[in-house]
Amino acid sequence: RRSEKPNWDYHAEIHAFGHRVQEHFALDLLKTAFVNPCYIESEEARRRQLGLDKDAVALQLQDNSGLAERGLRFARAYLAQCFEGAYPQLPAKGVEALVNFLTSQELVSYVAQNLSIQDLALCRDFPAPPAVLQRTFLAVVGALLESSGPERAGIFVRDFFIPQLIGKDLFEIWEVVNPMGLLLEELTKRNISAPEPRITRQLGVGTVLPVYFVGLYCDKKILAEGPGETVLAAEEEAARVALRKLYGYTENRRPWDYSKPKQGLAAEKAISTN
Amino acid sequence: RYVRQLQRLQLLFSPTAADARGARQFVEEAAQDFARQHPDVVLYVSPHSGPGPAPVLRAEYLNGTVREELIASKTSEEIVQLVTKLANQSGLDIVRIRKPFHTDYPSVQGQWHPLTNKPSILTVQGPRLQPQ
Repeated sequence: RRSEKPNWDYHAEIHAFGHRVQEHFALDLLKTAFVNPCYIESEEARRRQLGLDKDAVALQLQDNSGLAERGLRFARAYLAQCFEGAYPQLPAKGVEALVNFLTSQELVSYVAQNLSIQDLALCRDFPAPPAVLQRTFLAVVGALLESSGPERAGIFVRDFFIPQLIGKDLFEIWEVVNPMGLLLEELTKRNISAPEPRITRQLGVGTVLPVYFVGLYCDKKILAEGPGETVLAAEEEAARVALRKLYGYTENRRPWDYSKPKQGLAAEKAISTN
Repeated sequence: RYVRQLQRLQLLFSPTAADARGARQFVEEAAQDFARQHPDVVLYVSPHSGPGPAPVLRAEYLNGTVREELIASKTSEEIVQLVTKLANQSGLDIVRIRKPFHTDYPSVQGQWHPLTNKPSILTVQGPRLQPQ
């Protein structure tokens, strides 16, 4: 563990962490954010083993579960609001899938490791398991929420979570079993008639690797076209391409807007919906 | 936002050895300025007494790489330059970059495939030809 090697000053490291993230924290909140419940239990057990009396056994530390919960709720609400603003056509299940992916254990623990949270977090096992890292990072978000207010915390969440979506496709994150059914629902909502699939192009029909391009036509106008190995696979792919176009999540959409937000209405709404 | 990738710098030198003179001057004069200008890097100064190993500057980065640089017989200005160079680096391995360009979006209008500019079977091609 890094804290057990020479040249380690916990206070200085925490101070440097605050500067590295370019945020101003209340230091005692930040220190509680790094304390995990498993650490408190292991410390108490160790002190009891060493034979100290009951009063000395009780540590004065609070753990980070409250902060972590608040951070998680704020992050989910803020991200859901961001996505509803940016992709208004996306249904609630899609937004939920995106938010779940962004607050999942692997992603959050990957971000936390690259911000050196695994050195600063106090926990029982080494190396810290991803659940602990996720909880610690969300507790840091919660501490930022308490010390600097919802606006700064919203900018922080935006800057560290949303770049993880770069290069990812919508249906890699959101598992859709029946894209054709979903597409039919979307089209009925917009009062467009059912799509008619036709084979647009085909290559190598009799070989081992055929390629079929199936286009979906609504009222004789093209909606989307997708490739596939068999005709059914191509039809499903065309349905997915059509859904991507309808939800505005294509590869050539405008990139995310990271400019300074106006007046913080968004973050206040996030707090009020909690 | 920009996150400096250098986590901490450990300056290990000996207070009596002759080749650590630059390191000692750096600690006396320039180390505080450096620490003030880079508040997100933790600087540890640890003199080990007596004739020990050569003076070394160990840099630890956020992705875990540890880079050691010898500072024996270097002047204080050279150490300042070295330290700023390490502070602006990231922790990726220093390997030869195969190509100096990279793009996440290799194609804007869609990559060419053998069917790109061929007309589809369904398009009507002339007054007498019928679509399938």
